[in-house]
Amino acid sequence: MIRDLKRVRNIGISAHIDSGKTTLSERILFYTARIHKINEVRGKDGVGAVMDSMELERERGITIASAATYCEWKKHNINLIDTPGHVDFTVEVERSLRVLDGVVLILCSVAGVQSQSITVDQQMKRYEVPCIAFVNKCDRSGANPAKVAKQLKTKLGHNSVLMQLPIGLEDKHEGVVDLVAMKAYYFEGDNGERVAIKDIPEDLLEAAKEAREELIDAASLFSEELTDAILEESDISEELIKKAVRTGVMDRQITPVFLGSAYKNKAIQPLLDAVLDYLPSPLDIHNEAIDLDNNEESVVLESNFDKPTVALAFKLEDGQYGQLTYIRVYQGCITKGDTLVNTRDGKKIKAGRLIRMHASQMEDVEEIPAGHIGAMFGVDCASGDTFVSPTINYSMLAMHVMEPVISLSIVPKDNKAQINMSKALNRFTKEDPTFKTYVDHETGETIIQGMGELHLEVYVERMKREYKAEVTTGAPRVAYRETITQKSLFNYTHKKQTGGAGQFGRVAGFMEPCEEDFEFVNKITGGRIPTQYIPACEKGFAACMEKGPKLEFPVTGVRVTIDDGAFHAVDSSEMAFQAAARGAFLEGYMKAKPVVKEPIMKVVIETPNEFQGSCMGLINQRRGIIQGSQEEGVMSVIESQVPLSEMFGFSTVLRSATQGKAQFTMEFSSYKQVPQSIAEEIIKQKQEEKKA
Amino acid sequence: MLKQDLNLRSPIEKIMGIDNITDSKFGAVLSRAGVGKTRFLVQIALTQLLRDQKIVHVSLDDSIGKINLRYNEGYTNLVDSIGYVDPQKAVRLWDDISLNKVGISYNDVTFDTGKLKDYLKSFKKAELPMPAIMIIDGLNFDEDITEILENLQALNREFSTSIWFAMKTHRDEAMAKDGYPVQLESRKDLFDKALFLQPVDNKIQAVVLKDGNRTDQSFLLDPATMMLVE
Repeated sequence: MIRDLKRVRNIGISAHIDSGKTTLSERILFYTARIHKINEVRGKDGVGAVMDSMELERERGITIASAATYCEWKKHNINLIDTPGHVDFTVEVERSLRVLDGVVLILCSVAGVQSQSITVDQQMKRYEVPCIAFVNKCDRSGANPAKVAKQLKTKLGHNSVLMQLPIGLEDKHEGVVDLVAMKAYYFEGDNGERVAIKDIPEDLLEAAKEAREELIDAASLFSEELTDAILEESDISEELIKKAVRTGVMDRQITPVFLGSAYKNKAIQPLLDAVLDYLPSPLDIHNEAIDLDNNEESVVLESNFDKPTVALAFKLEDGQYGQLTYIRVYQGCITKGDTLVNTRDGKKIKAGRLIRMHASQMEDVEEIPAGHIGAMFGVDCASGDTFVSPTINYSMLAMHVMEPVISLSIVPKDNKAQINMSKALNRFTKEDPTFKTYVDHETGETIIQGMGELHLEVYVERMKREYKAEVTTGAPRVAYRETITQKSLFNYTHKKQTGGAGQFGRVAGFMEPCEEDFEFVNKITGGRIPTQYIPACEKGFAACMEKGPKLEFPVTGVRVTIDDGAFHAVDSSEMAFQAAARGAFLEGYMKAKPVVKEPIMKVVIETPNEFQGSCMGLINQRRGIIQGSQEEGVMSVIESQVPLSEMFGFSTVLRSATQGKAQFTMEFSSYKQVPQSIAEEIIKQKQEEKKA
Repeated sequence: MLKQDLNLRSPIEKIMGIDNITDSKFGAVLSRAGVGKTRFLVQIALTQLLRDQKIVHVSLDDSIGKINLRYNEGYTNLVDSIGYVDPQKAVRLWDDISLNKVGISYNDVTFDTGKLKDYLKSFKKAELPMPAIMIIDGLNFDEDITEILENLQALNREFSTSIWFAMKTHRDEAMAKDGYPVQLESRKDLFDKALFLQPVDNKIQAVVLKDGNRTDQSFLLDPATMMLVE
């Protein structure tokens, strides 16, 4: 791996689903000579794109896991992360952005800025990742890259500026005009591999001059030298413009817009040049960690190979040689045989085999220096762990991870499937913090939880394909919660004398709603409950929170305060006080007006204007609340909040209501109380389940 | 409790009477640009939100972000007018009542009463309570909008939702014979409520143009908050 970090780029490719991220990655690998044949995402050859290394990804034509790969372009190392576009896999996008220095934001030249582009943009803002934009699919009917560049301004608030003009659009798309060099680029050969640089066609010359003026105007804000050159009306060099735009990109003040068509092999090479010209190297990026030995003070990390090592594990994969841990090294250098400490659990590990990835193929390396992305073998850790040299105790900032909102029961077909299923679940939960699993003690069923229907569906498929675990699934279930709505008192005595040692404990106090999931307050005075039994009381109350007495959903938002009690010198025990606490909880809980809460999702629908009314109607019919509807040209964007339980099968309904022209995204928003009529239905359903 | 206090402080309660708002078929708030038509309409909508009614705010000028901002401001002004209120309580109440507000942003070209009809129909279909009022801000009353108004009248009849309009007048235009601005004069029979806002000294004077026995009453408002000046 090269040590001149000016020649390293760690970049991601992010966009809305089906904008052509994987197709673009595939072209990049082809032009950088990492692969020698282009395979389409949904190609007729049945091979699928190289970056979609999972069988399932190739079949569905969507990217599920971020495949990391590296390539070389004009003596630079580019580490490339292909990120998933579907909102259910957002945690993958978040993780990638955490370790990247720059992003190429892909937009469809027909659909423009879509809902997921907005989500991705917000994530980029959160991690302050500089970006350039690529308007893809200029060969498609209805392509309008100028409109998309404008939408970048109006919808995402980017200071977008066109760096190229298209030479023909739709089926006449031939190449691009580079507004910096003022040359026309055409792409010849079977796969567009030969770039022919020619003069700008006559009919585009005026438009190109005008667009170049606009570009120079926008760039001049970031360079005094350029401003001076404009004022003095002297020649403006390519270098001067590039330098100014690069400064603007680093500060996230300008978004240069490039155009082309990945599928038709148009204008990918100039985009690679742009990655080198405008996106930051690791040296340009400010990274911080927390010093756990120094009051969690922020520490600036330097891309210095001689300093103690700091690295972040951002993705785990189960390969045929064991666990593969993707890492980004921020400071120092990891060399084979180095001792590192996992700051989460303090465990020491020895760096064994180090590799860098090319989709599913790997290449052994001796070291991973600061600023690079690579992978380690044989390290037991979880995603998001920080590895450091033993001399320091730093942690990288925690990543934003959401709680799962949907669950599914899975039953293995036989014993063999049971063993394989356990292996798979163990792996998936380590890989993905938004995927969780537990065993329902009452039914004995294994429950998996995730961020959406597709999220769980994909894991079930992966279980079958990668682990040969045949499982049957139940209907998706919403992760309901219970909570109380008012203060109530309890005073419960647990007393048993049925031969042998007796049991005695009395617990009194009150419970009330609170913001936290669970709080326990001990206000016992005068030894009414001996100190050694207080933890048993807390344990008893906490155990009740797992399954609410009302409908057996987990209970949240309860503060329990105990202020009185009694014990018996002989018959009291930890067990007796745990039982007393459970009884007290039951007694207080039902008096505290318990209610059921359900997950509410933020649903954004993008629809052609003519279907706006009917789409808003669909939300109304689903107990949804429309927050607003905005018309953007021919499309309307409807933002709403809808209970998750009403969203199952929504994609089919939306398709049929809009002739397949609308699409939607959905993400968790908050928990809200379920209306009485729905609560009654849930009670009925629960009772039927119990009977069955 | 807070809801009740806020309702009592609402300038609409004093000027038009809260029940009066939903009794109307068509209502209009008139003024020249920049005096506060939209802010007054937002106060009208807030009275309904505070009564747990649904409202729809259609704007042909403002984006959704701007509409939401206007409501946040209007609510804050109302809360501030009653002195100290527990901020958490105020925020919780707003979180609750703002769920009943739907903002729709169109432009002149895409505004279409058919879409509004589709939307209102869906309430009936889902057996949901209809919006108590619909605010339409940004229609150009200097143009011939007879067809739009007829369609909206039909919506009013079919769904019993009162419709309130912002009607822009012009500084240099003389009043018509009846003392109404010309924009209202030609359509006065359509509107059973109308209110005219005009700057007087450093205040805003709200004159009731049409509202049964309240007609010709006038009130003074603070231009910054649109709250009544005591």
